[in-house]
Amino acid sequence: MLEIRNLHVNVGGQEILKGVNLTIKDGEVHAIMGPNGAGKSTLSYAICGKDGYEVTEGSVTYNGKDILALDPHERAGEGIFLGFQYPVEIPGVSNMNFLRTALNSQRRYRGEKEMAAVDFLKFVRACAKELDMDPEMLKRSVNVGFSGGEKKRNEMVQMAVLNPSFAVLDETDSGLDIDALKIVAEGINRLRASNKSILMITHYQRLLDYVVPDFVHVLAKGKIVKSGNKDLALLLEEKGYVGLGLEENAA
Amino acid sequence: MAKKLYLENTALKARFEAEKSSFTGSDLAWLNNLRTEAMAQFMAVGIPGPKVEEWKYTNLTFLANENFTALTKSDHKKEAKIYFDKAYIKEIHGPAVVFVNGYLDRTLSIFEGLDEEYFSFFSEQPQNFKNLLENTLGSTSFNHLNRALVTDGYRLVIPENTVLDDIIQIIHIATSAAHMKSFYTRTAIEAGKNAQGQIMESFIGPDHVRYWNHMISDLTLAEGAEMSYVQYQEQGLQAIHMTELHTVVSDAANLKYLTFQLGAELSRTELIHNFVGERADIELRGAYLAQSQQSHDIFTRINHDKPNCDSNQFFRGVLNGGGKSAFQGKVVVGRDAQKTNANQSNKNLLLDRKAEANAKPELLIYADDVKCSHGATIGELDIDQLFYLRARGLDETSAKGLLVEAFISEVFEGWNNEILRQKFRDKAANWLKKR
Ligand SMILES: Nc1ncnc2c1ncn2[C@@H]1O[C@H](COP(=O)(O)OP(=O)(O)O)[C@@H](O)[C@H]1O
Ligand SMILES: [Mg+2]
Repeated sequence: MLEIRNLHVNVGGQEILKGVNLTIKDGEVHAIMGPNGAGKSTLSYAICGKDGYEVTEGSVTYNGKDILALDPHERAGEGIFLGFQYPVEIPGVSNMNFLRTALNSQRRYRGEKEMAAVDFLKFVRACAKELDMDPEMLKRSVNVGFSGGEKKRNEMVQMAVLNPSFAVLDETDSGLDIDALKIVAEGINRLRASNKSILMITHYQRLLDYVVPDFVHVLAKGKIVKSGNKDLALLLEEKGYVGLGLEENAA
Repeated sequence: MAKKLYLENTALKARFEAEKSSFTGSDLAWLNNLRTEAMAQFMAVGIPGPKVEEWKYTNLTFLANENFTALTKSDHKKEAKIYFDKAYIKEIHGPAVVFVNGYLDRTLSIFEGLDEEYFSFFSEQPQNFKNLLENTLGSTSFNHLNRALVTDGYRLVIPENTVLDDIIQIIHIATSAAHMKSFYTRTAIEAGKNAQGQIMESFIGPDHVRYWNHMISDLTLAEGAEMSYVQYQEQGLQAIHMTELHTVVSDAANLKYLTFQLGAELSRTELIHNFVGERADIELRGAYLAQSQQSHDIFTRINHDKPNCDSNQFFRGVLNGGGKSAFQGKVVVGRDAQKTNANQSNKNLLLDRKAEANAKPELLIYADDVKCSHGATIGELDIDQLFYLRARGLDETSAKGLLVEAFISEVFEGWNNEILRQKFRDKAANWLKKR
């Protein structure tokens, strides 16, 4: 269970999150929607511990543990995964090497045995195939020369390999055509299980047709201003943020 | 009084006098005369001071004050064997020529598979080095010092149309007996017409032992010859390491050179190249990694005096803590050197605010139909890349290590030997973890 209490976050000396409260129980899928610049990505970075995202007040606990006290890699080891809005290109590091190093680092953190190279190879290829990614792409440098859609799909391959217990997916749907969106949605649904939870950040409700959330929240100006079930997303779609009295900031 | 450009070290002169009678080849009049003259030439110039342009980034003032003496023969068999086992790359198999504290060690060397008739050693056949030592064209003061005090060295002559299949490993070992000693070795590689050979030279020694080694290599490639030459340096953190490579390449000859500087307190790699034929091609690659208290200095000079030749320089460095580096690369394209392709690239990564990288590329072009490029950058790790890796489970050191490996490995990519590529990649990957 993830519990966010009164979370205030400063970025570049400016308060971006102004007291976010959110509880995500095991097995639940939550969606956060909100206008550009609302602080959605900031929330995801704060949960995962990016430098420069300074928590000034409040707490985030995961399964009772204060994760704000942990380094990013320790949070990953605890089972937290961040699907990036803008996946980063890393020239010279192959996807394969990256994923193996990541998986084995997490296993070491949890005191588990590392996966042997041969088993790993088979496992990763299977994960890539399920998400319709050409296994040849695993040999290439991380995200280098990948299209926007391929990058997002690569995030899902990484998620499948690392098998987290809690995933924050930051606009994983943006930049995808409808076929790719379906594949990614299947990938997310595959992760759904009674002991896992997902926080989906999205700008549009399109993804929510395929991954139906248990709860929908609207984040605006650094606070959750509305919560409800999936109907809230449809309402937003229909009326827009302005219609709900939430102005859209310029990005 | 004007500040002197060069510094004096009278201890070296005293050492020369004391050592004179016990030098290799002290029974040879020509050699004695040559040493005496070379010593006088060195003393007339001295040690380059901080105001000497070629040495502006590496301060040698300490060399004027520290007293490095000659090595006295001592028993270091066990220790040398340990370093041999570390340095010898079994996967390559093949022969190995081993020098310990500046002298050939026949017991540790592996002559099996080596065409011994192509090799000679200064300590055994000094007369084979006469021409080499007598040539003082363009000599610097350290050239003179090396000629005066030369301990040992090898000369490899590959006859024309001969292809040496095996990579020959040359291993230079220093042991704890080398503390406060200095030794000067000499290498000559002469590849005949259409000859081919591969040399992998490594330098290894203990931490906490301060010594100064200086090596000059002369590489001569005749028409159509192809050589690859690697210098890998992983000595202890108090070593002073200097090498000079002088190459002369003829028509359609091809040199591939790679240096990887990992150890030593101070390293200086000089690469001086002259084209004497057309359609020749040289490729210089280099990687250097420095922690606090370490400095690496790469100095290249390429003289394009002939048309239709290519030179490519590719250097990458990573500096951690208070580590320092310098890259001074000069390319001179002469009036007649039309259709020259000369590229130079130097990129540096600073992992710490205290780290320092200097880059001074210079391009002088006197011909009009040439393609030349140079670029030098000094940057830091990308924080977004770092966070991406950390968010996937890599601790900070491992994440940095992976990025360092990726950055440096560009140097090794495209190198013709997979075993060496992998070895160097691993060294770069583990570099941050080790110390
Ligand atoms: N690194 C940063 N430096 C300064 N301001 C930032 C930085 N990252 C985000 N912001 C600001 O914080 C606000 C929220 O951004 P973000 O969390 O990316 O919003 P969203 O993901 O909801 O579009 C915006 O006003 C943005 O300009
Ligand atoms: Mg965002």
